[in-house]
Amino acid sequence: MKEGTKLLFRVFYGALAVILIASIWVHYATHPEVHFFWEGFPLFSAFYGFIGCVVIILGSKAIGHSFLQKRENYYERQDRKGSKGR
Amino acid sequence: MTDWFHPALIYLLGAFGIPLFKGNVRKGYLLLLPLLALADLLLMSHGLFASSGKVWIFPFLGHDLILGRIDRLSLVFAYVFVIASFCMMLYALQVKETGQHLTAYLYVGSTLGVVFAGDFVTLFFFWEVMAWSALFLIWYRKKRSAYEAGFRYILVHFFGGLCLLAGILLHLQKTGSIAFETLSWGWDFTPEHVASWLILLAFLINAAVPPLHAWLSDAYPEATVTGSVFLTAFTTKSAIYVLIRGFAGTDLLVWAGAIMAVYGVVFAVLENDIRRLLAYHIISQVGYMVCGVGMGVTGTEAGQMAINGAVAHAFCHILYKALLFMGAGAVLHVTGRSKLTELGGLYRYMPVTFHLYMIGAYSISGFPLFNGFVSKTMVVHASAMAHLPAIWLMLEGASIGTFLHTGLKLPWGTWFASEKPACKAEEPPFNMLLAMGLTAFLCTFIGVYPKILYDLLPYPVQYHPYAPAHVLSMSQLLGFTFIAFWLLRSKLHGEATITLDTDWFYRVTGRWVIWFCEVPLMAFAKWADRQVMSVVHFLVWFSLNPAQAVHIKKEEAKLRLKRVVVGHERTERHRHLLEEKRRRYPGELPKLTLGSSMALILLAFSLYLILYLLVER
Repeated sequence: MKEGTKLLFRVFYGALAVILIASIWVHYATHPEVHFFWEGFPLFSAFYGFIGCVVIILGSKAIGHSFLQKRENYYERQDRKGSKGR
Repeated sequence: MTDWFHPALIYLLGAFGIPLFKGNVRKGYLLLLPLLALADLLLMSHGLFASSGKVWIFPFLGHDLILGRIDRLSLVFAYVFVIASFCMMLYALQVKETGQHLTAYLYVGSTLGVVFAGDFVTLFFFWEVMAWSALFLIWYRKKRSAYEAGFRYILVHFFGGLCLLAGILLHLQKTGSIAFETLSWGWDFTPEHVASWLILLAFLINAAVPPLHAWLSDAYPEATVTGSVFLTAFTTKSAIYVLIRGFAGTDLLVWAGAIMAVYGVVFAVLENDIRRLLAYHIISQVGYMVCGVGMGVTGTEAGQMAINGAVAHAFCHILYKALLFMGAGAVLHVTGRSKLTELGGLYRYMPVTFHLYMIGAYSISGFPLFNGFVSKTMVVHASAMAHLPAIWLMLEGASIGTFLHTGLKLPWGTWFASEKPACKAEEPPFNMLLAMGLTAFLCTFIGVYPKILYDLLPYPVQYHPYAPAHVLSMSQLLGFTFIAFWLLRSKLHGEATITLDTDWFYRVTGRWVIWFCEVPLMAFAKWADRQVMSVVHFLVWFSLNPAQAVHIKKEEAKLRLKRVVVGHERTERHRHLLEEKRRRYPGELPKLTLGSSMALILLAFSLYLILYLLVER
């Protein structure tokens, strides 16, 4: 990894740490309005973001590989198959 | 007439002036039209023109055509359409084909016609112009795949248009009115509700709600570089507008919208073509708006928040989605490539395009300080106010996916991913960069100063997007999405595949229909044709010499009878004689005397008389 990228990552992790600490602090200091029980956990969004992202990637790829993804000439092949049958 | 001027006319009439100019004059003229329309809207907002109510009412077959229904809702949509059309035209200025500009402005103008339409007939008229003018933006790509996708696109939209027309006629028959107001909704089969269903179906097709969405992801990525930028804004967002007018608070839309938001995200993971990936995100983002319309029960606080959210999100979406398509279009424009498997490492050549694209990506992902944050969170917040936990989770989940694809996967695969650039590239023409810069500025400006948008919304806004808790929770969500992406980035490389979608049903069954027409149906038609022609041939043969023909037929019957009675061998002579007669047919025609001719004529007349008398009775 290049130096610049390394620095960027350090800044990112630092910012993330600040955000997490600030979230906990804001949650217990200001008691924002809660609509659902999970909003009672100050770090719920972080958890949901991580899990959600993993589920979206793995879940979609599983669906795609099982039946949705086809070769790029799929429809053209269907055309040719059709014209051969005629 | 003079207290208002329809902004659609500026585009619709102005479009036909485009071929009259050349070079820089034409460029100036193209940019002048949206500015005139914007001035028109400002005159409305500031009360110099009619700023509310209904104007330009024309009597039509006992009903009133209302070309100008002006209120806060139509104005806010008109504003964003006009502003977006300016940015998009700036992006398209280098295109030399007059036809593209002309159809683009017909498309924009007809959308404004839809926005200000106060009755169904006017709505239908502009609705159809919108459908076919958009078609040309696809066909101007002049590739086989574009022609085919265009045909599929227009067939779906003709179907939608016919549903709309059928719904309108049924509605008119039942209620006696063509006024476009909130429609009654129910799950039963009363004619009024069936009319509403048909109209809703047409609206949902244009809003690209699954399973009626495949035309969008099929056709938009096939359009021209500049045409697809126009396409992203108008059809789907005008559908949101008419849904708000006709079906605000319809519970069906809440779920349809939330499912739509997630659906687009799932398909975007699998997509290899960058513009198709972005097209799936149109579907996903429009899902938020459809969901907002569904939650927009009139008279409740959550409902007002939801409608405000849907409108605000439509406004912001038009801007950032245009910016994203401009970025992806710029890559296609300079490299001729749009597949992730054929791209990568382009940052070295196009850093400016990358950074401008990323502003669109931050906006769509809802980063604080960008416009998606101030609008998307309104819809999500409305779902919290209405206590819909599943909807809330689906919408938040879709936010994750949005950032993952448009903010991470796409730019990573296009501008980075490999150390070595996949191909030579350069920054796009200056006007394209300028258009992207202007759109990026608007995205950021609204994000930093949301009041300017909130003041335009139909209901007063009591929402503070920059409450610390909102900002922090969104930052957590996006930050950890990035971490998950970074860990799994190897799984997100483009794959050279296409993804089957609901267009499979009509692309494959369509082929079966064509096979059915070409094989069994044609065989039947040929058979029927042969039968009819054999009767005709017989009649022609018969009329050559009816007396002899009757004689031959009589002999044939006799021969057949004889064969049965005395056997084949002993009828040989008879057969020869008959064949001889057939060969000589028609032979000498019998000469009729005058008397027998008269007798025949009289016979014919008397037959006719009998027939006439019988029928008369």
